[in-house]
Amino acid sequence: MSILRVENLVCGYVPRKPIIKNISFSVADGEFVGIVGPNGSGKTTLLRTIIGLIKIQNGTIMVGNHKVENLDRRELARRVAFVPQLMEPVDGFTVEELVLLGRTPYLERFSFESEDDREAAQWAIDELKIGNLKDRPISELSGGEFQRAAIARALAQEPRVLMLDEPTSHLDIRYQMKICKLLKKLRKHRSIIATFHDLNLASRFCSKLILMKRGELVAEGPPEKVVTPENIWKAYRVKVTVRSNPSTKKFRYVMLP
Amino acid sequence: MMRKFNKNESLIAIFGLFVLLLAAMVISLFLGSVFIPPGDLWGSEILWQIRLPRVVLAALIGLLLSVSGVILQGTLRNPLADPYILGISAGAGVGASISIALGAQFVIFGMSSVPATAFLFSLISVIVVYKLSQVSGKTSPETLILAGVALSAFCAAILALIIIITGNLQSIYFWLLGSLSSASWSNVTTVLPYCIVGAGAAYFFSKELNALLLGEEMAQTLGVDVENTRFVLVGAASLMTAAAVSVSGIIGFVGLIIPHWMRLIIGPNHRLLIPVSALSGMVLMVLADTISRTVLSPMEVPIGIIMALVGAPFFLYLLRRRRTEGK
Repeated sequence: MSILRVENLVCGYVPRKPIIKNISFSVADGEFVGIVGPNGSGKTTLLRTIIGLIKIQNGTIMVGNHKVENLDRRELARRVAFVPQLMEPVDGFTVEELVLLGRTPYLERFSFESEDDREAAQWAIDELKIGNLKDRPISELSGGEFQRAAIARALAQEPRVLMLDEPTSHLDIRYQMKICKLLKKLRKHRSIIATFHDLNLASRFCSKLILMKRGELVAEGPPEKVVTPENIWKAYRVKVTVRSNPSTKKFRYVMLP
Repeated sequence: MMRKFNKNESLIAIFGLFVLLLAAMVISLFLGSVFIPPGDLWGSEILWQIRLPRVVLAALIGLLLSVSGVILQGTLRNPLADPYILGISAGAGVGASISIALGAQFVIFGMSSVPATAFLFSLISVIVVYKLSQVSGKTSPETLILAGVALSAFCAAILALIIIITGNLQSIYFWLLGSLSSASWSNVTTVLPYCIVGAGAAYFFSKELNALLLGEEMAQTLGVDVENTRFVLVGAASLMTAAAVSVSGIIGFVGLIIPHWMRLIIGPNHRLLIPVSALSGMVLMVLADTISRTVLSPMEVPIGIIMALVGAPFFLYLLRRRRTEGK
């Protein structure tokens, strides 16, 4: 069953100048969807529209059985969580306090975090394997550690859909792999949508890729169907060849000279 | 980097501050130009009708100013925001002095004319400063402060004009200096509801204030209605500032120093920052008022002067510290 359905979506910051021009796709339970495409293709705009930061101009976004525009902020925040590309580090907050902020959509006006909220935060911390960092101030974390703490914060929202904007772009290759492996594990019982610049990384870990160009869909499907020389030429105007590795059954594109 | 306080340590900190506050109030009560012999305690007019309301009022003003500082720094996402820097105090002072100059006598929503006009003008100031500091939809710390400074200068000019036109130097100049010399029990009962409502609003919005630490958009993705939160909290801060200004005049820097100082010690979590700032603001004001009454006794130095003498250097220190940290 699909958790998220985007139908004929048109959106952007200015009324008559949409950034996303008619995009449709759906995301099923347990899928890890990678959104790829050249700079300015609208990847981030798409995520920000799904989380309700940008107004829908036309079309619909369904989360479960609900239209996004019919959900209030708190209801949406319990279903969809977002990890931005750059999050402001807060002076003096510990990892645990940051993760607990993920429980904000569950708190009532006159109530404080309950035992349940603390358990949910602890669960998210365990999932991201950052138990040892729990009491560290986030300003002292390395880029990779901070990214894991930021993901744990989003996971504490217990979302059906976890969205990440370029979760690997500021990380070294070791952490790129680590984060992708973690995300692949996390997709159980929810779905993950992440934007990527690295096509090889995305095709290695994602179950489905969405290739965009200038707000439109170029290709959608399993990585081996999307990352083809034709599609990459269409989206990026770059000539590549695709080589598969027989031992891992994985493939990668290589730029032609 | 200061370590996070756990639950028990937080309670101990709050309790400790509470004890400190009581101690400061008791000491302040017995210091002054007139010595009260121990035998005269119960019958002393000076003690019960002059000093006690003054000490209590000092504490309440401290609460109002420091909590509105916490609120403004949190909602405007600017660590340098406070009612004084942002020109809200000056706006409230203009409102109050217009009301005095015109001799207005009315009661609206249970507020008498002076606090009511002070409130109205403080609200106008905060909206003006906030709108002026927005550059393409975003508020930058620098423009916010500059807008506040400009508005304060503008308000000072209006105040001077009112003084010249009405010749009412004595009672209006009182607003500019800030003083608790007119403290009475009726003043205490005037500001008490604002303390309760304002501090309550701040405390019950602490989860929103915490979410806002991550930025406006992240707060939205956590289910926070940022516009609504801002409306309620900036309104509460203006109300608290107006209440404080209406009885004590303009007392600066309390709302700036206290939240900063406390944030360095206990961290940015508003659940703890709000009560701790409220209590330490109360302690600071009680001590400052004691100094104002005793340092040049029998002459009184307005508390606004004392706070500016201490607060301005501290503000400069904070500015420099932020600079070096930014590098």
